[in-house]
Amino acid sequence: MSNPGVEDGEDLTRKQRREQARGERKALEQAEAARAKRRTRLTQLGVVVAIVVVVIVGIAIATNSGKTKTIKPGSSTANANVAAVSTLLNGIPQSGNVLGNPNAPLTLKYYGDLECPICKEFTLSVLPALIPKYVRTGKLKIEYRSLETATREPEVFKSQQVAALAAGKQQRAWNFLELFYHEQGEEGSGYVTESYLQGLASQVPGLNLAAWTTARSDPALANEVTADAQAANQAGFTGTPSFELGKSGTLQKLEAGTFTEAAPYEAAIEKQLKG
Amino acid sequence: MSTGALRKTIIVLTAIGLCLAGYLTYVHYSGATPPCSIKGNPCSQVQKSRYSEFVGIPVALIGLIGYIAILASLLAPEDEKARFLTTVLSIGGFGFSAYLTYRELFTLEKICEWCVASALLMTVIMCLSIWRYLRGERLPTGAIVAPG
Repeated sequence: MSNPGVEDGEDLTRKQRREQARGERKALEQAEAARAKRRTRLTQLGVVVAIVVVVIVGIAIATNSGKTKTIKPGSSTANANVAAVSTLLNGIPQSGNVLGNPNAPLTLKYYGDLECPICKEFTLSVLPALIPKYVRTGKLKIEYRSLETATREPEVFKSQQVAALAAGKQQRAWNFLELFYHEQGEEGSGYVTESYLQGLASQVPGLNLAAWTTARSDPALANEVTADAQAANQAGFTGTPSFELGKSGTLQKLEAGTFTEAAPYEAAIEKQLKG
Repeated sequence: MSTGALRKTIIVLTAIGLCLAGYLTYVHYSGATPPCSIKGNPCSQVQKSRYSEFVGIPVALIGLIGYIAILASLLAPEDEKARFLTTVLSIGGFGFSAYLTYRELFTLEKICEWCVASALLMTVIMCLSIWRYLRGERLPTGAIVAPG
């Protein structure tokens, strides 16, 4: 004879077990579904990350292609530039920003920005004709003055111009200036960095780098750059290169109409020498 | 952290980033000099460099648009798609910030504190957004029948 109480108890236990098993199954299914969902999400994120990486690398490469690579110190191009500058300047006296005999009858004030591409054209096309003919012979001295035009950042402008003037404390400002123009990068590409300036300085023959570095913090040089800007402003110069030519105390604006041909400059100098 | 608290945290961070990008956009268009604690004000130099624009659009403005888009995705009704969109936008923002930081460090050799702040914010926003997306929507306690 069966015992109803025990049967009820057994049924209840069986029912509980079924529910428990169902619950466990459901929990497992939910856990598996959650894992699958997580895998899907991870895959989606992986795809997104891969796309972003490809796009960013593409942007980096694309924006690099427009950037002029600066010339590495010690490379054959750099060595050729150093040799060309040395040939042009060796034996010519320098004092600060002045190239040539301090007692030369004529002075040419050259307002420039080291990042200005037209200044580069002038420096590489016209000066190689004027320097041997008039500066080396003691008839003309050239004063380099700073006027910010092409450089976008005032602090960078000051830093690069002061770097050149600091080389002038060792009578090598013109070696630095000439080398800068020879190795000038693309305008506005941000190539003028501290390591770029250091690299340039390291190429100037005979320049004591420690003394040059110390001189760069001389406030007098920064003031000189500021004073040059004021002088240019008073003279009415807004672009570079700009020039003043004449005998001491009687300098006048010189507008040759070209920055690549030496003839008009030579004609103006000859006229002043005869006058 | 609850789903709501996580979302609110990301919203606050995005709002801060939005203010930062807004200020840098103002600096770009006004030509103002941003305050900078580093000598020589590299912030200004970075802001005026060629890398301050991308295909002619100021990167600060791109950042501003990015933060607005992230904020919009966070304020949208919360579902799987909205969480995914926030995550995609923040990963994109992080990638772009990484590119700009690379330019600062290795091309310009200058660092802008404002840009670094924005890049760090974007990094945190991205991490939180990924966390939020991966864990999905947290159901109320008791919704899942616990075994046993």
